[in-house]
Amino acid sequence: MSTCARLIPIVFGAVLSTAAARADEVPVFVIEFASGRIAPSVLEVPAGTRFKLELRNTGTDPVEFESIELRKEKVLGPGVTSFVVIRRLDPGEYRFFDDFHPDTPPARLVAREAGGQ
Amino acid sequence: MTGPLGQIALVVGRESVEALLVIGILDAWLGHRTDPASARTGRRFLWAGVAVGLAASALLAAAMLGFASLLEGDSEDLFQLVVTGLAAVLILQMVTWMHRQGGRLQSELTRGAERAVSQRNWWGLMLLAAIAVAREGSETVVFLYGILASASGTSLPAGIAAAAAGLAAAGALYWLLQFSSRRFPWRVFFRVTEILLLFLAASLLMTALDRAIGLDLVPTLSPPLWDTSWLLDDMTGPGGFVSAMTGYRAKPELVSVMVYALYWLAAAALLRSRPAALAGSAP
Repeated sequence: MSTCARLIPIVFGAVLSTAAARADEVPVFVIEFASGRIAPSVLEVPAGTRFKLELRNTGTDPVEFESIELRKEKVLGPGVTSFVVIRRLDPGEYRFFDDFHPDTPPARLVAREAGGQ
Repeated sequence: MTGPLGQIALVVGRESVEALLVIGILDAWLGHRTDPASARTGRRFLWAGVAVGLAASALLAAAMLGFASLLEGDSEDLFQLVVTGLAAVLILQMVTWMHRQGGRLQSELTRGAERAVSQRNWWGLMLLAAIAVAREGSETVVFLYGILASASGTSLPAGIAAAAAGLAAAGALYWLLQFSSRRFPWRVFFRVTEILLLFLAASLLMTALDRAIGLDLVPTLSPPLWDTSWLLDDMTGPGGFVSAMTGYRAKPELVSVMVYALYWLAAAALLRSRPAALAGSAP
């Protein structure tokens, strides 16, 4: 226990410094949640590069963006806009859900290799 | 499959199960300690942890609702990584401690020595309770706030009733734990809950690993090795619950498989060493 307790701040600090060093110039894709609806339901994103998913909750109740396949989980209060950063997806399909509205049909990201860039 | 009310009950119930499981098991375990003074101290730390967890839930919920920019992108992933990793370590520590204490109750050790060991563990117990409550509690608070703020498509009292039903269902689990700890032989109860806790820690570890991979701290080492989502999907319905309680992944990469296997080897080694040590000291 004590070894682990001592390790945590070290790991934390190391991660924080690498995360801060990265530039912010990455493509942004928007996903909108509105009380049990997700738009767009299919979103094409580049494979193999870093990008941001901007998540907007325009509905009147909270939503939870969740995807084990994307390794992300994020709660958004009503009216809140936030983002997650995704690094290097392999080409393929990745489903995500609104976990606070279990009946919402799942939406998905489709990661494709970029042609030019 | 369910109406809006069913969804409310489902979400609230699901969010509370994990915390109630951890606290219920620890509470039952404390109740079985022969030394009543220690049990009382332990309970005080446990419930203090729950109180701290509730307060932290409210703060986190406020952050999610109002100042989303405090926790977003990488910093949020990092936060989840630290919290889930810490929770996994604390559960492992608790299980090992319980294991050791379970042996001690029979081979009577001096009370003073036990207290000395306990002092530091009480804080771990409190921290674990606080994290268990805060992790799921903050989401529940946000969700409940949403129902109170705007009952979309449902009437407010019905929404609150549904949320209460969800909580009650999770509370029933708590009661069941307390009840079965009295009803069944203590050894059986202890074995079963120990395994439950170990699976829960495995799930937390897998979440921490996912965050680490998402932050590019750990390589996946391979594309997904297999896909069992046709059998049990890890993201929806029962599969989602299994995943949350055991760390199950339908499409695991090599690193996930390795970490999961190593975890169980380590856990087995940790627990097997105890009875052997006891058997050695008994005769």
